[in-house]
Amino acid sequence: MWRKIKWGLGLLVVTLVAAFLHYTLPQRDVVRITNTYNRLTTVGTENSWAYASPDSGTAESVQTRDIRFIEAIRPNNRVIVYRNEDTGWVWPPYFKYDSSNLQAEASNARSTSAAPEWVVVTHYGWRVPLISIYPNAVKVTPVSGPDVSLIPWLNMVILLALGLFLVMLWRMLAQFHERTIDPALDRIGDTIDEVDARADGLWARFSGWLNSWKGKPRR
Amino acid sequence: MIGAFRFAIFGLILLIIFYFLVSIYSRSVQRETLEKRFDAGGVEGDRDAYIAQGMAVYEKSLRKRLIWLVFVIPMVFVGVTVYLVNYQ
Repeated sequence: MWRKIKWGLGLLVVTLVAAFLHYTLPQRDVVRITNTYNRLTTVGTENSWAYASPDSGTAESVQTRDIRFIEAIRPNNRVIVYRNEDTGWVWPPYFKYDSSNLQAEASNARSTSAAPEWVVVTHYGWRVPLISIYPNAVKVTPVSGPDVSLIPWLNMVILLALGLFLVMLWRMLAQFHERTIDPALDRIGDTIDEVDARADGLWARFSGWLNSWKGKPRR
Repeated sequence: MIGAFRFAIFGLILLIIFYFLVSIYSRSVQRETLEKRFDAGGVEGDRDAYIAQGMAVYEKSLRKRLIWLVFVIPMVFVGVTVYLVNYQ
């Protein structure tokens, strides 16, 4: 029973961490941009976490704001819509403040199905129509065709660095435990033993004294 | 712009804290190594003096200076990210 609960909790944590990384790390799509525009958008409580925080450049207001969007189509003819907002300076750590320029580049890369121009859109985030959230486009780069293969080197490096950082933290904690906490616990243990021994000595002397009041066995 | 300043200040405070934690860790590892080397035997002289001398050497070593990478790596990362995202 407890084993199952423990495994369940572990699985939940792993899933949450994986989802968090999948949302935050950059991804690249090969798409053809079909339209770029601004739309007055109301951000609700259920999806505000997936929009720019109110203090970053393009987000003028908490609730209703004018957001730039980029509409695109994938090689398999399925559509995708990106938003294009500044990220601000804390999270996610893209430090993006050139949304207007990016929008201009995206508009420049618009093409029709008759004369397609393919681009790679670097972005983070998810498209979830149910709660109206959009991935945030970070970069638009022209590519030769829809068949280019992209290797996520950057993500490999980031994940490796995160792993090394965790190992480092683990080692630091282990060292602190071994060199600081354990000796302190030992000292406390020693002190308790000493007090115990001294109490034993006192008790022996006290019971000896008590015994001295006993009469000598009669002959 | 205010956001950038706030990020810089809080980031710097975090890095300073992390720098001190890593320094303490590195020093502790060094001391442990010295203790074990002395206790393994074959070293002449007083234990405390041996460790004190080893720690003095460590304070000037390359390994101690490499801890400055705690500042360098995140700052370079942020700088490169800002450049790649906004200026290319």
